[in-house]
Amino acid sequence: MVNKIIEVGYGKVNKVSIGARLPLAFIGGPCAIESRDHAFMMADQIKKICDRLRVPWIYKSCYDKDCRSAPDSYHGLGADDGLRILADLRDEFGIPVVSDFSDPAWAVATGEVCDFVQVPAYLCRQTSILKAAAKTGRPVHLKKGQFMSPWNMKNSVRKLEAAGCHQILLADRGTFFGYNMLVNDFTSFPIMAKTGYPVCFDATHSIQMPTSMGNISGGQREYIPYLVRAAAACGINALFMEVHNDPKNAMSDANTVLDIKYLETILGQAKASHEFRLEMLEKYGEDNAHTND
Amino acid sequence: MLTQMTEKILVKDVMIGLDKVPVVFPDTFLKKVLEDMGCYRLGIACVVDSSKKLLGIITDGDIRRKLISVQKPFSAFFVDDAIDHAIKNPATSRPIDTLSEAVQMMKQLQVWDLPVVDDHGVLIGLLHLHPAVEALLKAIRSEPK
Repeated sequence: MVNKIIEVGYGKVNKVSIGARLPLAFIGGPCAIESRDHAFMMADQIKKICDRLRVPWIYKSCYDKDCRSAPDSYHGLGADDGLRILADLRDEFGIPVVSDFSDPAWAVATGEVCDFVQVPAYLCRQTSILKAAAKTGRPVHLKKGQFMSPWNMKNSVRKLEAAGCHQILLADRGTFFGYNMLVNDFTSFPIMAKTGYPVCFDATHSIQMPTSMGNISGGQREYIPYLVRAAAACGINALFMEVHNDPKNAMSDANTVLDIKYLETILGQAKASHEFRLEMLEKYGEDNAHTND
Repeated sequence: MLTQMTEKILVKDVMIGLDKVPVVFPDTFLKKVLEDMGCYRLGIACVVDSSKKLLGIITDGDIRRKLISVQKPFSAFFVDDAIDHAIKNPATSRPIDTLSEAVQMMKQLQVWDLPVVDDHGVLIGLLHLHPAVEALLKAIRSEPK
């Protein structure tokens, strides 16, 4: 297995490299773009935290949330306005940006602006979406569907590769445990890493309770720090968290986004856990117990 | 019972051609490997690179042992790369080896098949025990009394 390193960022932004033995990368921002002012305010606050912690960061926010539970849930600003904000934001702050896209027809526009294109977990095995993502020429953030086994993500990886994409980040965002409940099986990290691509933990969606509140999703945010530390110790290469300055009034994923007042503590712990793991690898070597039995 | 006739038979005279042998690539899914082995009715598959250089073999016995030692779900097992379950650097035979030598080697190693490779390690066929025994018996029967 070759440990691949992906590089996120084109043009004049700070490029973020993600892969084995590299610093833990952070992918974060508000779930949806709510307004230009809000997006810029969040970027400014997150940037200060990431600068202090010296954590490489990719700003995440989506322009069209197509998997909301209810018909009247906030859908987003749309591609034109949303992508313009992301483009201006990356110019202003010099940071790479990522958004997901839920329709193959949106891929080209997404890739023209975003440094990183994200395939939503529910759509992770849709061939048309994966082909469209690959054709953007950008690295692809591919989330493991809540219904997918980690080993079956190899099929989606091969679809991307067949379409010409060899820059992939694989994320775990929890696995369905019966109805309206997710659990995290952290064996998914070494299993998905066997593809050779770096792996990511999506902490804020992992504590989601999908559609548990009838027509919106609930979540157990209090468990985020525990899961983040455990995932970092397991060997993730990137950490994904949606953050908001006012979670109660967040227009998307209000029950799962992390209040930004906790970001520095949790991200700091994630970084420290990651660095401690790298030290252990130096001291004791790679994890190989029973791998060749 | 080695005779003059049996000593004249070479591996290349008896080996199975590659069109009748499961030949797979390192990243072929294990499920496909198993299907091919069933399809060709052989207990072995040969793993080769793009220039057909032999990288390893997968046998029924290896899979049997793996099923006990690797206790993961079949669905996970099936999408493993072939090379992950291959025996690397397997014993091989050359086309110009005598069949009797090759069968002796099969007996020593307790195997039913030997991949046949050229001087560069490129796979060119497979020696399977049944046709080998059949050829030897035929030669013995045709010896002048």
